[in-house]
Order: sequence, then structure tokens, then C-alpha cells
Amino acid sequence: MTMLSRVADRLYWKSRYLERAEDTARLVSSYHMLIMDIPRGADLGWEVLLRILDAEPQFYSRYRVASEQNIVKFLVADTDNPGSVAYAVRAARENVRTTRDVLPEETWEQVNELHLFVREAAEKSIGRRNRLAFLNEVISHSQMISGLLQTTLSRDHAYRFTLLGHLIERCDMTTRVVDVGVMELMERDARFAVFDPLIWSSLLQSLSALGAYRRVVGPLLEGGSVAEFVLKDREHPRSVVYCLRGMRDAVKGLARNEDALRQIERMRRKLSRLHVEQISPDEFHGFIDNFQLLINELHEIVSDTWFRPET
Amino acid sequence: MNSKWANYQAEGFYDELITDKGSPRMAARAAVNLFQQLSADDMSARREAAELAIREMGISFTVYTEGGNIDRAWPFDIIPRVISSKQWQSVSRGLIQRSKALNCFIDDIYNKQRILADGILPADIVLESTNYKPQCKGMSPRYGVWAHICGSDLVRDLDGKFYVLEDNLRVPSGVSYMVENREITKRVLPELFENYSILPVDDYPSQLYRTLASLSPRARERKRPCIVVLTPGIYNSAYFEHAFLAHGMGAELVEGPDLMVGDDDCVYMRTVDGPMRVDVIYRRIDEDFMDPEAFREDSVLGVAGLMRAWKAGKVAIANAPGSGVADDKVVYAYVPEMIRYYLGEKPLVDSVPTYLCMNEKDREYVLANLDKLVVKPANESGGYGIMVGPHASAATRRKFAGLIEKNPRNYIAQPTLSLSTAPTYCDGEIEPRHLDLRPFILQGKDSWVTPGGLTRVALVKGSLVVNSSQGGGSKDTWIVEGKS
Repeated sequence: MTMLSRVADRLYWKSRYLERAEDTARLVSSYHMLIMDIPRGADLGWEVLLRILDAEPQFYSRYRVASEQNIVKFLVADTDNPGSVAYAVRAARENVRTTRDVLPEETWEQVNELHLFVREAAEKSIGRRNRLAFLNEVISHSQMISGLLQTTLSRDHAYRFTLLGHLIERCDMTTRVVDVGVMELMERDARFAVFDPLIWSSLLQSLSALGAYRRVVGPLLEGGSVAEFVLKDREHPRSVVYCLRGMRDAVKGLARNEDALRQIERMRRKLSRLHVEQISPDEFHGFIDNFQLLINELHEIVSDTWFRPET
Repeated sequence: MNSKWANYQAEGFYDELITDKGSPRMAARAAVNLFQQLSADDMSARREAAELAIREMGISFTVYTEGGNIDRAWPFDIIPRVISSKQWQSVSRGLIQRSKALNCFIDDIYNKQRILADGILPADIVLESTNYKPQCKGMSPRYGVWAHICGSDLVRDLDGKFYVLEDNLRVPSGVSYMVENREITKRVLPELFENYSILPVDDYPSQLYRTLASLSPRARERKRPCIVVLTPGIYNSAYFEHAFLAHGMGAELVEGPDLMVGDDDCVYMRTVDGPMRVDVIYRRIDEDFMDPEAFREDSVLGVAGLMRAWKAGKVAIANAPGSGVADDKVVYAYVPEMIRYYLGEKPLVDSVPTYLCMNEKDREYVLANLDKLVVKPANESGGYGIMVGPHASAATRRKFAGLIEKNPRNYIAQPTLSLSTAPTYCDGEIEPRHLDLRPFILQGKDSWVTPGGLTRVALVKGSLVVNSSQGGGSKDTWIVEGKS
């Protein structure tokens, strides 16, 4: 059974937006927890979240002050910011609305419910008091939807594009988070170093990888090994290597997949040659920049091959 | 007996369930008896159950508002409308007869134009109509059928007889609600079905599939033709129905940009496996927007080259472009003539008497009796620009008199009908409300009529407007067999 390119496109974006909503909620939530543990001056400042998301120009075009309030509003409730939780959830819903037929029946209901919740509560959850409960609800609802798809979606084209969307978005977010972590922490004043493990633990938490890291690498958190873990651990489902493997499996079931497979293989090889501990922060940053370009290229290849083929 | 029913009276109208003497009609007896035994609490509980079912089943229609498009839950009345199968059979035969004659007419108009040559119909009213599409000249779709899906509006007058009010031959909608209404009744009033044998309606999508499949240009080579439902998209008010029918037929729901016409004049849909050839298009967009090459150039909903593909016989389109030529209200007046002319038969179901303002004698009568008549523009659908004489102000009547004299071809008039009523549950009371009926007639290799159709009911007291966007609701419609 084949699938309309337009439907595939929407399924893919539905997943990217759902993943984005969850990941952004995670990022804000873990930073929110972190900030309470670190004395003023030793923290990274809320702007770090803007740097992670490459959203500074967009933010400053609309807000004057990079206050906690403004930044959280921008990332959570601002429906004009395509990176915000509220925007992503609404966009996911619009994409599901027109693809209901190929998804398990409960998908629409669940996504719609999440949308109604976010629309109702986002604005009220910018202040510290309600913030965490709101973010947790977004995270757990997103996980429920992912679980629903994972357990009930037939392993057909709908599943393949759903998977591709999630994995590409996740790779993008993971690489952003480690990049900023490495850059910020390795370059700053050594007298704050005592807080670094806290910050690394927060970043790991934002990637849902703290527990796994402790079990696999050990309880001591150190920049190089954290980056190595989230990029290259073969077993952790949110690591980049793992995501690449998932993408390869998804793409294998599709016709005309040569370009996409080649690109995924390129990314895998590049990653296998990386040894974080042996390079400088600058070199690491250069690597990630490069890798992000490869992720974008993969997205372009997927779009060109399956979403807007021959006219 | 629930006292709400004891006071029920539909004075001055034909009531679908209750006779003038206040007793239930034969076919409706068992249903009315059951409702009479339900307490007020029970009634409202059933109604709530119906509302819940509607939400759960996701039955909605889209209304355009300032705040964007919203999906409204489908308004539904739990008391069904009951019609005996004996009566329905004769209506149903009449509808098939009518649809056959209309298709003969369309095919004739785009080919030999015998009916015009023989002077049955004045040529200019057909050829100058905006619904006449010269692009379709010389085409003869398979079986000579152009309007494969027809959704006629029927009303009952005081005498209890059904009349065809209009034949919708372009893109009639509402059939999905007919199917869903039955589903709701089954859920909330299962005991009603114990004493009845009610004709099922849920196989409509398979009947539609059969009709469409019979049109496939590659019927011989391909067992399962590729059928698509072409929708204008999610913002169309009938999108729910488009998705419902595509799903029910296992067909793809496509938008214009999903299709393309190749150099070989075949239509392809863009899929992740590459282009795939389409055999039959169930078109739910207006023909004016269907193909920017042939009709409106500014259309972004359509597919460039679609007409070319259709004319080359590489794809079937239902309803065929150009079908609307028989949907004109002046042409409507001649349908009884068409039935005699093409089929040599006597019409089995009546049309509403129609005065054509372009005929001098008719026009004089209309202008002298504006306070008794309903005046309609010939080309509009959806109830636009209508004047209901008895309810209109003197100023409005004067305005219409002017319009008619200025452009008589564009207006027709009909006597004001007394639409029938049926008991309807409104705000805790059982009250009479006006209704109509839209059955769907399928025409391909064979003909088929839905058992019943979609009953639309004006929920506002005294109102005759049954459109869902303007406070109309609907009822499950039963065709019941034998004595009960």
C-alpha cells in the first residue's frame, strides 16, 4: 500500500513538532531545576537556552530584555515562535488533523487534548510556580503519544515517516545541547568549575540520559565523556548513533532510498571518527556545526525524494 | 404515557409521525409508543448519550467564523422519521426515472441537442446558462451517464405527497451524516430496533465504490481500480464527509496538488513510491476550480490538464464536468417533459409547479401574486437570493418585481409549500418542526437509491431553514418494512 507524498510530509512534520515540543519542554524544565541549585553569577543565564536553540535574533526582534520571564514565555507560550512548545503542539495537531486516517484512532484525540491543554495553560505557566507542573504534563503527554504510536502503528510507510521525523528532530536537539554545553563550560572562569557537574547533569537530564549515563559511564560527570555518551552510545535510544541506526532502518523500507542511505552512512562514519577527549572545544564546536549541516542535508534529501518528487 | 406527547399538535401541516386525529401513523406506531413510555428524565438521558456518541465518533462539520474555522458537533434529534417501505419504493422508482432522464438530457445537450431541435426546450435558456460548459461538447462518458451522484431535495406538502424541490447534480453533500445518524440511533435507542425491520443505510460507501469502479477506463486490465476522492481541503465545510467516504471506500483522499497530468494525458497521484496512475476521480470540488487550464485560471485547488485527461478517456470523473447544466431552476421546470421525451414514461414523482418569468403569461401571474409565491434566482444554490412572498415586506416584493422585469430569464417562482413536520425533542418538549429529505441516487452501470436519505430539520420554531450552518439539525430516517 503506497502513500501520498503530502500525507508522508505531514506525518513527518507531525513527528518533528511533537518531538520539538517534548524536547523544548525538557530543556526548559531541566534548566528551571538547575537554576535553583547554583548561586547567581555561576549560572549560565537563561540566554543559554536561546543559544542552544539558535533563537537569539528571533528573540531580540520581539523582546527587549532577556529576562527569565521573557525567555520562558518565548520558549513555552509564544505562538509566533516556531520553536515554542505552544507553536509546536499546534502545528503537530494541524498535521494530525489531515492524516487521521492513517494513524491509530486515539492519536487525534490525544494530540487534540494536548493542544487544548497547552492552549489553556501555557500563558499561566510562565511564572515559576506553575511552570514545572505544566512542562511535566507536556512531556508526559508527548511520551504517551509516542508510546501509542510505538505500540499500535502498523510498520508501514506511516510508521517509517513518523520515525524519521522523531529521529531527525531528536538528533538536531541533542547535538545543539552538547555543543552549547561544551562551549560554555570549557571556556568560562575556572572558579565556577565546581558547579560544572551540576550543569552537565542538567543537560543530561534534558536529554533524558542522566540515569543511563550513570549506569554506563559512572557517577562522575565530566564534559568530554558526557558529549561522547550522548553522541556515540550504541544502546541509549536518544544518542545520535542510535538515532542514525533507527533512520537507516526506516529508510530501508522506502523506495528510491539511495541518497538518504548514503547520507546516513556519511553521518555515521563522521561520528565514528570523532574522539571528543582528544580535541579542543573549538574543534568540537566546528564538528557539531558541520554535523548540523549534515542533518539539514538529510532533511532536504528526505523532502526531495519523498515529499516533493517529480513535478 | 408521557404528557409531552399528549399535547403534541402539528396544526395545518402534514405530520410525518402523527395523524390529524393525534394517533401515530401505522409505520411509526411502535416507535411512537416507545417514546411515549420514556420519562422526561429518560428522554434527556438519551439525548445526552447521543451528544456523547457524536463527540466520540468525531462527527463534525466546519463553520467559518472570524476566529478561524471551527468544527461544530453535528446537531441531531433523537426521534427518528419513519416512512413505510411501500411508499418509499414508489418514490425511489421515481427518483431513478428522474435521474435517468436528466442524464439523457445532459448527454443530448453536449452532443446532438435533439431536445432543442425538437423545440421541447428553448435553446437559449440552455446554451446561455452559466452552467452550460462548451468545453464538454462532444463528450460521451460511459453508459451516457454524467451525473453519477445526485442528491435531490424532497419535501412533503399538505397532501402528504413527496415533491422534488431541486436536483443537486453538482457536488451534493450530506450522505455521511445519513450513515452516522443511524449509527447514533443504534447506540442510544437500541430497543427501538426490536420491533422493526429497518432497511440498513451503512453500505453506502460500498455502493458508491461499485458505481465509481464501473466507470474505470482500465476496468479490463485492473481488478481494483485506483479511485481517489478530490477535496478542496480541510477548510471545506464538507471535509469530514470527504474523509469519511474515502475511508469507507479504501480510496485516497487527495487535494489538487497531489495530482498531476502526464504527457500521456493520464492522471497520476504523487506517492512516496513515485507517480501512480488514477482511474476514477470522485470530484468534490466545483468544476470551475477543477482545472485552471480549462476553467478558472486562478484556481489553486485544481489540477492543470484534468479536462484534457478526461476528454482523452484516460480518467473518469464523477460527477462529470458540465453536469450542472441540468441543475438550473428553469431547466428544472422541464424535467417532466424530459421524462416523457427521452423515456416515453409518465413522471412517477412530482415536481413543484414552476412559473418561468421569461414566459410572458407566467411573468404576469408572478408579478400579480408575489405575496403568495416563492421567487428564486435560476442559477444559485444554497438558498441565496430567495424571496418567500408571504413573509416578505412590501419593499422586498417591490425590489423583486424590479429584478424580475429587468432580467426575467433569471427568475422562477413556485407556490409556497407547507413543509411537513415531525415531532422533535426541543428544550425538554416534543414539538413539531419542519423538515425535508435528501436521498442520494447513484448512477453508473446500474442505478441505486439510498433507502431514505438525510432528513434535515429546522430546529427553530416555525422556521423553514434546514441548513446546518443556520440552525438546522438532522434526524435518522427509517424505511420500515411490512406491518409492525
